[in-house]
Amino acid sequence: METWRLIESPPGRGDWNMAVDAALMESVAAGGACCLRFYTWSEPTVSLGYFQEYAARQTHPASAACPLVRRATGGGAIVHDRELTYSVVVPADHPLVSPPPELYQVLHRTLVAALAEWHICAALCDDSSHVPVAEEPFLCFQRRASGDVILGGAKIGGSAQRRRRGAILQHGSVLLARSLAAPELPGLAELGGKLIQAAELGQAWRAHLAHDGMIDWQSALLTESESQQASQIAHETYRGADWTFRR
Amino acid sequence: MKPETLLFSKTHEWVHVETDSTGAKVATIGISAFALEALTDLVYIELPKVGRTLKTGEAFGEIESVKAVSDLYSPVDGAVVATHDSLANELESLPSDPYGNGWLVKIKLSDETALQELMDYAAYQKQCAEEGH
Repeated sequence: METWRLIESPPGRGDWNMAVDAALMESVAAGGACCLRFYTWSEPTVSLGYFQEYAARQTHPASAACPLVRRATGGGAIVHDRELTYSVVVPADHPLVSPPPELYQVLHRTLVAALAEWHICAALCDDSSHVPVAEEPFLCFQRRASGDVILGGAKIGGSAQRRRRGAILQHGSVLLARSLAAPELPGLAELGGKLIQAAELGQAWRAHLAHDGMIDWQSALLTESESQQASQIAHETYRGADWTFRR
Repeated sequence: MKPETLLFSKTHEWVHVETDSTGAKVATIGISAFALEALTDLVYIELPKVGRTLKTGEAFGEIESVKAVSDLYSPVDGAVVATHDSLANELESLPSDPYGNGWLVKIKLSDETALQELMDYAAYQKQCAEEGH
């Protein structure tokens, strides 16, 4: 068994949530233990994929009033509202990233297993069709990639990675219920008929993850150093116009 | 170019050093076939501007595949003298010719010390085998 830190964060702003993930990445790259973090958002927030153009948000008027943060990870935009968000950070040479897709697979298959506890029969997408970049929808949950978590034909879970020397960050979202800021996206409540709370899904998910990944959880808070670093990263990067409007 | 003639960094960049008409050493940098296979379908790439000075180990660009954004690291010290800008429009072809038309940047070396830290192809293959690629 390998001991990982388990961090359950209170609802946070977009810039803080992204900065905490970045600080954890630096912590793991410096030799810290692997960690799993569950978090939610203090208000409905749009996160833009790293390479997406800011102007593209104009194509989605339902989320126009939401604050926006640019992620360090790629893919499409996410409207973080009625969802559970997770991040996992592991060293770049961890067995779960050799080969790299394994980290997606273990998180997504354990999510499917956790949902089965509510008799929700989600599955992993095996769609490998290639959509030209210019034709990809604005929203991540309207895109499809092999390994995404699908329920009733709709995507309800997806993840993305940032790979830096020393550490790999993977974060992702599970749609618990439809958001007024993204009314085209049904969640588990609409598709599975169950309104599951973020905390209870997190609890079930981490139990399956512990079993599948041979992980022993150690509940933890951010260290003082990580909190300070996250504050600095939020201020210097995620709140900055240079970052947000870089494309 | 054949990979056997190249040098490799631990972070999967390849290096080919030539001497230009002024006698300066210029390194051509790309991404190894092993790394490209792990990245899978490529979506975006961002390369540095010509003239930027890089230190060994400094991130000089980023590449996005369907599921991950990865930093690209300079294996040498020097100044960027050319970038393969058209690659952004033909990323799907990168994996088919990683050691030729897949070059990313050319860097005029300011110091050759870092070259001694790079691996030959045999050593790099061993590293890849250990990483499980």
